[in-house]
Amino acid sequence: MSGGRNGPAGVAAGAAAETVRLTIDGTPVEVPAGTTIWEAARAAGIEIPVLCHDPRLPPAGVCRVCLVDVGEKRLTASCVREAADGMEVATAGEKVERLRKGLVELLLSDYPVDAGGTERKTETDELRALAERYGVAWAGHGNGAAPAGRTVAVAGIPAGNGRPIDASSPVIRVDHQACILCDRCIRACDDVQVNNVIGRTGKGYATRIAFDLDDPMGASTCVACGECEKACPTGALTLVELVERPPSAPKAELARVDSVCPYCGVGCAISYYVDEAKNRIVYADGRESPVNHERLCVKGRYGFDYTAHPQRLTRPLIRREEAYPKGPLSSETASSNGRRRKPGGLVDYDEVLPHFREASWEEALELVGRRLREIREEHGPSALAGFGSAKCSNEEAYLFQKLIRAGFGTNNVDHCTRLCHASSVAALLETIGSGAVTNVFADVENADVALITGSNTTANHPVAATFIKQAVKSGRTKLIVVEPRRIEIADHAEVFLQIRPGTDVAMYNSWMHVLVNEGLIDEAYIRERTEGFEALKDLVADYPPEVAAEICGVEADEIRRAARLFGSAGAAIVFWGMGISQHTTGTDNARCLISLMLMTGNVGRPGTGLHPLRGQNNVQGASDAGLIPMVYPDYQSVADPEIRAKFEAAWGTELDATPGLTVVEIMRGALAGEIRGMYMMGENPFLSDPNTNKVRKALAALEFLVVQDIFLTETAEFADVILPATSFFEKDGTYTNTDRRVQVGRKVLDPPGEAREDWRIVCDVAATCGYPMSYGSASEVFDEFTSLAPSYAGLTYENLGLTGKLWPCPDPEAGDGIQVLFGDGFPTPNGRGKFVPRPFEPAKELPDAEYPFVLNTGRLLQHWHTGTMTRRARALHAIAPAPEVEMHPDDLSALGMADGDRATVASRRGEITLTARASRRMTPGTVFIPFHFREAAANVLTIDELDPHGKIPEFKFCAVRVRPAGDQAT
Amino acid sequence: MSLIHELEALQEERGHLDAASLRDLAHRLAVPLYRLQELVSFYPHFRTEPPAALEVHVCRDMSCHVSGGAAGLRERLEAAFGDRKDVRVRETSCLGVCELAPAVRVNGTPARATDPAALAAAVADGPLPHPRAAPRAWQADPYGGDRDGAYHTFREVLARPDREAALDDVIAELEASGLRGMGGAGFPTGLKWKLVRAERAAPKYVVCNADESEPGTFKDRVILEQLPYLVLEGMMLGGLVVGAERGIVYLRHEYGAAREALTAELARARDTGWLGEDILGSGFSFDVEIFVSPGGYILGEETALLEALEDRRGEPRNKPPFPGQKGLHGRPTLINNVETFAWVPGVLAGGADAWKARGVNGCAGLKAMAVSGHVERPGVYEIPLGTTVAELIDMAGGVKDGRPLKGFAPGGASSHFLPAAKADTPIDFGALADAGSMMGSGALVVVAEGTDMLPLAANVVRFFRDESCGKCVPCRDGSQKAAAMLERAMADGTPLDAAALEKLEELLVETSICGLGYVVLNPLVSAARHWPDEFPGLGDGRGGGGGGRNGTGDGSGNGKGGAA
Repeated sequence: MSGGRNGPAGVAAGAAAETVRLTIDGTPVEVPAGTTIWEAARAAGIEIPVLCHDPRLPPAGVCRVCLVDVGEKRLTASCVREAADGMEVATAGEKVERLRKGLVELLLSDYPVDAGGTERKTETDELRALAERYGVAWAGHGNGAAPAGRTVAVAGIPAGNGRPIDASSPVIRVDHQACILCDRCIRACDDVQVNNVIGRTGKGYATRIAFDLDDPMGASTCVACGECEKACPTGALTLVELVERPPSAPKAELARVDSVCPYCGVGCAISYYVDEAKNRIVYADGRESPVNHERLCVKGRYGFDYTAHPQRLTRPLIRREEAYPKGPLSSETASSNGRRRKPGGLVDYDEVLPHFREASWEEALELVGRRLREIREEHGPSALAGFGSAKCSNEEAYLFQKLIRAGFGTNNVDHCTRLCHASSVAALLETIGSGAVTNVFADVENADVALITGSNTTANHPVAATFIKQAVKSGRTKLIVVEPRRIEIADHAEVFLQIRPGTDVAMYNSWMHVLVNEGLIDEAYIRERTEGFEALKDLVADYPPEVAAEICGVEADEIRRAARLFGSAGAAIVFWGMGISQHTTGTDNARCLISLMLMTGNVGRPGTGLHPLRGQNNVQGASDAGLIPMVYPDYQSVADPEIRAKFEAAWGTELDATPGLTVVEIMRGALAGEIRGMYMMGENPFLSDPNTNKVRKALAALEFLVVQDIFLTETAEFADVILPATSFFEKDGTYTNTDRRVQVGRKVLDPPGEAREDWRIVCDVAATCGYPMSYGSASEVFDEFTSLAPSYAGLTYENLGLTGKLWPCPDPEAGDGIQVLFGDGFPTPNGRGKFVPRPFEPAKELPDAEYPFVLNTGRLLQHWHTGTMTRRARALHAIAPAPEVEMHPDDLSALGMADGDRATVASRRGEITLTARASRRMTPGTVFIPFHFREAAANVLTIDELDPHGKIPEFKFCAVRVRPAGDQAT
Repeated sequence: MSLIHELEALQEERGHLDAASLRDLAHRLAVPLYRLQELVSFYPHFRTEPPAALEVHVCRDMSCHVSGGAAGLRERLEAAFGDRKDVRVRETSCLGVCELAPAVRVNGTPARATDPAALAAAVADGPLPHPRAAPRAWQADPYGGDRDGAYHTFREVLARPDREAALDDVIAELEASGLRGMGGAGFPTGLKWKLVRAERAAPKYVVCNADESEPGTFKDRVILEQLPYLVLEGMMLGGLVVGAERGIVYLRHEYGAAREALTAELARARDTGWLGEDILGSGFSFDVEIFVSPGGYILGEETALLEALEDRRGEPRNKPPFPGQKGLHGRPTLINNVETFAWVPGVLAGGADAWKARGVNGCAGLKAMAVSGHVERPGVYEIPLGTTVAELIDMAGGVKDGRPLKGFAPGGASSHFLPAAKADTPIDFGALADAGSMMGSGALVVVAEGTDMLPLAANVVRFFRDESCGKCVPCRDGSQKAAAMLERAMADGTPLDAAALEKLEELLVETSICGLGYVVLNPLVSAARHWPDEFPGLGDGRGGGGGGRNGTGDGSGNGKGGAA
């Protein structure tokens, strides 16, 4: 049985057709064949006590508490025993109850009195509850023989197992003495999250749960998803947060707010438990939803406390006169010019804040309005630009682009999606007429083959990755991973191709070559649903596996094996991420993947689809809402007069017909003096954009910059005015996840000081710019947005409910929205999908003798974008406090360096110094640096070359050299 | 290659399994680290520290205990090896050479350690000779020791034109013979074969359980060494009857000589066409491989054994389903003990009636018995079922040094002790059960007058504690609590708490997953019943513990058992 995914774990797959009839405590019960006695009893409203079972997990039958009498010689464990026809089950006779009590006593004989308790756990302490039920004395049994009063005494039974406490994890405390070896954490780790970290070590009474090779939890490969703590029925696994910072009220009295996660595009459903007296989130727990089935990752479960960080901005700030001319205010951000460097961390408030003074909202807004108006009057609307954010809500994105377009009069509005999936969207719009995913990630369970390429899924979309890992574990789905790094999900793959960076086009052209040659294509689909196949066929003829093998550094036979596996799938789905999109050939990469799927008919059916995994929580929604320079909300072209007329009517003003500039183009414009005034809502281009040194100059060159954020970011150092905004937790709003699921994020906390909701600030700025906008609530904004965005038609805060809806949603009152798109054609002029053949082109800056390594940049599981939130989250910071460069151990030793040494990494644009980490997951000749850390900002190194179609920078490829820190540059 | 075999190969190459090597292996195979840790920490064959040049393993269990082994012996051995730094002496669970008690293994070679100084001197002179049981004429061998005649019974069945009828006849003959499982549970062999034959799922498997590890038990070792062709022929017949093409002998790792004999016989059988594809043009294919157990008594439990074959910790499964229904890889699996398979050709060759007639005192058939403890000539004896315990003791030369008999365990460590007065009990499933014990694993452990029963009972309880896999609560915790109570009683005479023991026994017997848990307190309960004055706190006439909750002798209480 494969765990929680298939509903009640006690029901064997495929056995649902037949039913069996039995009696439980005299009550006749009818259940599907394969149902366990325990589940059958539960369905009949009879609760059988148990410690080792959790309906989300496959049963184990080890605690024996659920024993029942089925009239056989021996009692049987109801959690593992299948119900059978004619069975007569007695669940609670005198003997059974006596034995249950005996088992509880046996467990308590070793149980530390001071362990756990429900107040320290996400869920209930079930052992304690059973002890109460059976009247087994809990506390007050001092036992001189036991170590330091830690153990409950049970008459006649020697006490204490002497096992240790493992406090090495910043989030979960492991009290081995309180562990009853119920196996639930192990199954939660293996079967629910498929992280495969926890097992049992030792044998017999000496058995303990263990992480990896019996390593301390905090030093193991544990990813701190918290699923084990949630599954644990005793005080063995407890929350550090609850142990060390107990709330001011008992857990049962905390307020619960059902919302979603602020981090990645998966958009997990979460309940936040709030200490209202302290205006503090105490803990978070996964909610049941099609998105996450209660699962969370480390960020969602433990990363919420940034919102209460003392560095939150609480009043508007205005740059002091003496802080001009503008430049970076932190000394360390001045890069490689030999000035003092601090050991690391975030923007130093002590250093930066004195350059600003607090101001009233009135004064700050007046200044913003005046300066922006002045620039517009002097240099025209195109001298202004705005960056919205994929972290803000649909409503905020909608209002922001409306302000820029209708209030400022320019289409120069963009956001960080430009930096992640612009090329994917460009390719999708070009070929199939829609930039969104064609199917939800969870449908991988219906796929025969899943292809993951350019996506470190377990780090960047951890909960989506659990669906993929479960599908593989169930045996249903075969996984192919194509990646330059042997990322963790590659360990689950049937075929893993460790390709040279930037050679994706050659790889997939070669797959298509094999598919064409071996007849593994869907000719009917090609004929009826597509156009342009002949040209593609001609092109891929030039890419036999031997040719691709040369380019990609992978054996030709391995390429054939992957292509054949893919081509033989009845249903195949592809997931891709920044490894595909963040190249100067990003659009070409995506075009190849789209061609691959069209050629094999893998769009528009269950288990098939194109799924570019969206990075931030609202990448999809921010794009849908029009934070794109070429289109209005719902991808309606600004150049189309008819559409423009519609928006002019709706917004009551004339609109510019010229598509605006994109993110990197705007920065270039600032440097060139063409962009003079900017409004940034929640964006931090200083760290997120390529070639930081150039960005720094561009930001410094702006005449006027207003930054709206919750912390003092690196970008805010260049601001004239800083406006304090609310965090995700302090406002209502809708967010659209990677699946196109529109979900309501609800206000959990009150904002600090004078911080205002972002959408209200946008309205305030609009008013000062002469374009007043007025709304009573976020939902009112949402209604205006949906009235202009056909894909969102019919959605309202009310019908989105607790688990949201997928767009499009033809029947929002009853339906969940459309999961699989394009079963009957594409939203293109002729309804056909288009093949766009593309030849392989190398990256812009190839390694050479001077800069011999290829730099790959990306993200870590624990951190988020530019780190402003996650680096202020206690647990996340504790787990991943500092930047590291990952290299293959052979490369490292060839440089005379070892794991843990300080390394200086230099490109033609700058250099940074950070700790070297040896990793066999790297391909020799490549290095990986996450971009979250300002003290070793990866984007100091990256190149600002753009993909010509998607205008996305080549974050994934540039040439660098590495030397031990301290050595002089050569 | 299975993960267990990968670990064995790595240990072979590196001498031990250090963390760095394990991480390399996990990376190479893309398996989670915890899976390696689970196996390495569970199976005694694996070591994480480099071995000494000379590894001396001292058996501390039942037969060796009564013969002066264990802790005292370890210290004497350490003294005998003096200041040799390259020697490590450590205690270990039963080595399966109880006839050598007090037994040790020196770098894998078993030896008797009655005289530690002599042993140390012999070791200094070079590798020890490998002791082997003397060859004998086995009555149960239809070929009279002539291997060239072997597999005749199998060929006769294979040659019958109506295969289905022939196989039905095999089952009918086995059922009529009364042959029962010889590993402990005593399940009727013909019925088991019939049930597995009736299963629909495919493929099916045949597994020979050659993992006898219960203190006092070593009969299968001698059968494997001397009658490997009968074991294989039994498996071939099993494969033919149930419809399996693959057989596996699950062999305990200490049985090197048995492995050699079996390997040689496998090669011979393949060379002569008895194993392989399309055997003798019959359309039936069958082959057998040997899987060497990485160790542990619990692996003899048939579902634990299956777990090991599937690369997991040897933790018994919840039953049902039984292995005959869902065994190896979830497929129907015929599992029989070595002796059971070995007797099948003889039963079929002579027919059920002839087989039954070989018993005495109204009992049917033959039995291999391991005799150890306080007898003059410990070893394996082939007896007619129905032979009395006293007669078997006489065959073994009588009680050692002419001492009076105090009691005995007729079926290995898990069987209830019986007093000398019961020595006239015939050795048979029913008679031993009626007497309050069981046939068990065919291991008579003899205890002479003058033996203290509290330390002996404590020794056996501790064995089960040590060998508990740790999966289920009652066995993992209950065995430890019982062992701790006994140790305390031995250390300072603390009276045993009868009520607590009774509660523990009920939990162990009623709630454990497998037979090991059921039997943990058998030796204590039975010894306390028969010799109450030797157990402080229990000597007030109320007997020990629960008074033998599991003394039914039907074999289901045996740790090696399983009832599929």
